[in-house]
Amino acid sequence: MVQTPFTLAEPAAFPLVERFLFAALAIASGSLFWRRFGPIFRRILQSKKDADFRLAPVGRRVWDFVSEVLCQSKVIRQRPLPGLAHAFVFWGFCAFALVTLNHCAVGLGVGFLSPEGFFGRFYFFFAAVFAFACAIGILGLFVRRFLVRPRWLGAKLSWESGFIAFLIFFLMVTYLAAFFVPAGSQTITILWWLHTLTLLVFLPIIPHTKHLHLVLSPATVFLSRGSFSRIPPLAGDEDFGLVAGTDLTRLVSLQAYSCVECGRCTEHCPAANTGKTLNPKEIILGLRGYLNEFGPASSEPLLGKHNPPIAPFQCTTCGSCEFQCPVGIEHLPILVGLRRGAVNTGTWEDDHGAKLFLSLERGSNALGMQASERDKFIQKQQFPIFDGTQEYCLWLGCMGGYDPKGREIVADFARVMRFLGTSFGVLRKEKCTGDPVRRLGNDLLFQQLAESNLEALAQNKVKKIVTICPHCVRTIQEDWKEYGTPPEVEHHSEFMARHLSRLPRPSQQETIVYHDPCYLGRYRNVYEEPRSVVSHSGQLLEAERHGERSFCCGAGGGLAFLGEETGERVSHVRAKELVATGAKTIGTACPFCNSMFRDALASSSDAAPQLLDIAQLTARALPQQDAPSAS
Amino acid sequence: MKIVVAIKQVPERDAPVRIGAAGRWIEEADLQWALNESDAYALEEALQLKEQHGGEVIVLSAGPERAGSTIREALAKGADRAIHIDCDDLGNRDALGVARLLAAAIQPENPDLILTGLQSDDLGYGQTGVILAELLNLPHSSLILHVEKSDTGITVKRELEEGWFQNIELPLPAALTIQSGGTKLRYATLMGIKRAKTKEVRRVTAAELPVPSEATASLERIALPQKQKTTQILTGSAQEAAAALVEKLKFEVRAL
Repeated sequence: MVQTPFTLAEPAAFPLVERFLFAALAIASGSLFWRRFGPIFRRILQSKKDADFRLAPVGRRVWDFVSEVLCQSKVIRQRPLPGLAHAFVFWGFCAFALVTLNHCAVGLGVGFLSPEGFFGRFYFFFAAVFAFACAIGILGLFVRRFLVRPRWLGAKLSWESGFIAFLIFFLMVTYLAAFFVPAGSQTITILWWLHTLTLLVFLPIIPHTKHLHLVLSPATVFLSRGSFSRIPPLAGDEDFGLVAGTDLTRLVSLQAYSCVECGRCTEHCPAANTGKTLNPKEIILGLRGYLNEFGPASSEPLLGKHNPPIAPFQCTTCGSCEFQCPVGIEHLPILVGLRRGAVNTGTWEDDHGAKLFLSLERGSNALGMQASERDKFIQKQQFPIFDGTQEYCLWLGCMGGYDPKGREIVADFARVMRFLGTSFGVLRKEKCTGDPVRRLGNDLLFQQLAESNLEALAQNKVKKIVTICPHCVRTIQEDWKEYGTPPEVEHHSEFMARHLSRLPRPSQQETIVYHDPCYLGRYRNVYEEPRSVVSHSGQLLEAERHGERSFCCGAGGGLAFLGEETGERVSHVRAKELVATGAKTIGTACPFCNSMFRDALASSSDAAPQLLDIAQLTARALPQQDAPSAS
Repeated sequence: MKIVVAIKQVPERDAPVRIGAAGRWIEEADLQWALNESDAYALEEALQLKEQHGGEVIVLSAGPERAGSTIREALAKGADRAIHIDCDDLGNRDALGVARLLAAAIQPENPDLILTGLQSDDLGYGQTGVILAELLNLPHSSLILHVEKSDTGITVKRELEEGWFQNIELPLPAALTIQSGGTKLRYATLMGIKRAKTKEVRRVTAAELPVPSEATASLERIALPQKQKTTQILTGSAQEAAAALVEKLKFEVRAL
């Protein structure tokens, strides 16, 4: 008797009736899928075109696709265990594509992979390995969702997800079982049908569950705007941001339907973690709900039934949501877009916001102080006025020019520059870069501020700017581009890191915990430079959340100017984390973070650690000089 | 209700003011300009009345070409149309001269209510609105914080000294000068600016208006306030020194 090799058993030819039955069921399943997916697809296509969309550079898109979709880099990096489980399910699906195609072909009598052929045998085994990993993976995800139940997945158990997990598991089992059934047995046909029916049930479920991400998210990742927190320019005279359905662009709609509801955005959101209304996941699902109910041609306001009007204005624009999202959703353009819609049309009413806008309409700085206060500070510090001969224009910013602590930081940084012999000057007049109004969605005011500053810089022939404020850096370098060509700009951490070898070390080496400002880390990808500066003047400690996953201080997105928060204060949560490291000193690199922690530390009764900017840490080791005091 | 708001463009709050070479006016080059503060409140009051009771808000401004940007800003905030009296000799017109121009432009409009700011942030006469009311022979009231429409006319809240307020009823038509701080200002929006582009701005020159052409005043010389910093040491017992300090704060510095 010939020993049959161990391989997949496939049913022999089906009778005509069964073939027809299969074809009919497949057509039914396919049309059910399309009946649900078609309207979604149309809603995406009927959305407004993204005026600034360019396919180039394709290389970047391909790379993102390979890294984030094929290699599942974001899925795995942020949550290694469930991430891997997901990756195995995904890779299992990829490996299974050919098998499934052949499986269906067999049903029609035109199977092309033979278990006897060399490639067929190899491929069936190859897929079996993945099927096995996929089954384990989906089992793990099932256990996580239904037994471990992390709160990010939502309080409500999704039975759909359970059913889908079961279907996937059953698909793998019915495939693997076919390896252990003798050829020609009736069981093979039964297995084949079970596998097929599972597939045909699975397909129509996809479009109306979060499993739609299977179909959409590869496209979402490939088509995403790419750069972090890219706020698209307004297109034409009737574009005021995201006001109504007619303002939803294809990218926004595509992203709204791609959300897989994993809750990574919520897990890291400073607002959602401190009892605010805002939950980035709900914003995206709210847009999806809006599209389902009203569609992309509706003039119904986006802020209303599906999204509470207050929610977008609780965002600190820290960007963790966008940074974490594994399916390519860009939350910041959406959140800022909703703000633009409300602010540019005047429907946002907020006393603090209006005050900020009015003081920037009429004055020069976000703190609402007289410009002459800045002049006095410059005189007292004997800062030279920039006249084109100096290497750097030292940009003071609102905090550096008007806030008492910000002034101390600038004064110390100027000491560092003087010690290094770097020539610098300050502008006679400087206006707010427009960061808070840009993030709050006031395009009119932002344009005025950007243009006025760009003109002043051009008149003074400024080539290089250095500043202590990461918000200024970001706004000058990226956001001003919409209105002109900004000079080169760098953050003082980058400047000091470059000159470390020439800067003295302090004699005492104390422990310093460094807090990553969102606008330096996630927005600028600068993590190492400030750390090297900190390490130069002490022993660097890390808070539990740091680097890319650092937690916001609560000041960004204009929130520093919007008055009291609801719920717990973001700054208090973060300050506690920093204090918990036991460090003697908290090192900051942003005057806003510094001011938030100053207040947070002052309100706690414990012996608070010292709070110093990296410029102050560095300046402490400089030889004493008769520098005027900053205040 | 048809409301005319008379507004003025003045140097921006933070603007570094310098005296011009002739010594008769400030150096206007490099200055940035803004809407006079109490005029902003007058405009806001008018817009709120319109939102509650319907009607039309017309802004009126006398000033050179550059005043156009401030007129646009008022249109952007919600005024329906504007009249720009083109004249660049405001320095040669005192409150009476300007009020004559404004009155001549307002007359054909026949409004129910005229609002102006209490006083301008540059010349600070504080009389233009009141003289305007006289010229038009209208009942008027000054230092108004809030206006409400009543069945017979309007009820206004007027600021008195030492934290006292007065509520007055006036018939319409009337003219009011508005005090700063009575309400919350709205911010300018992109949509407002875009919509303002299509709104009517009618330009008339001062010469076209039926107003006597001779100057009502001429500025001889202007000067910046002299900064003084003097230190006085108050002697005597703590009680005497305190009494002397209160005396000085009350009558010399007028801070109490």
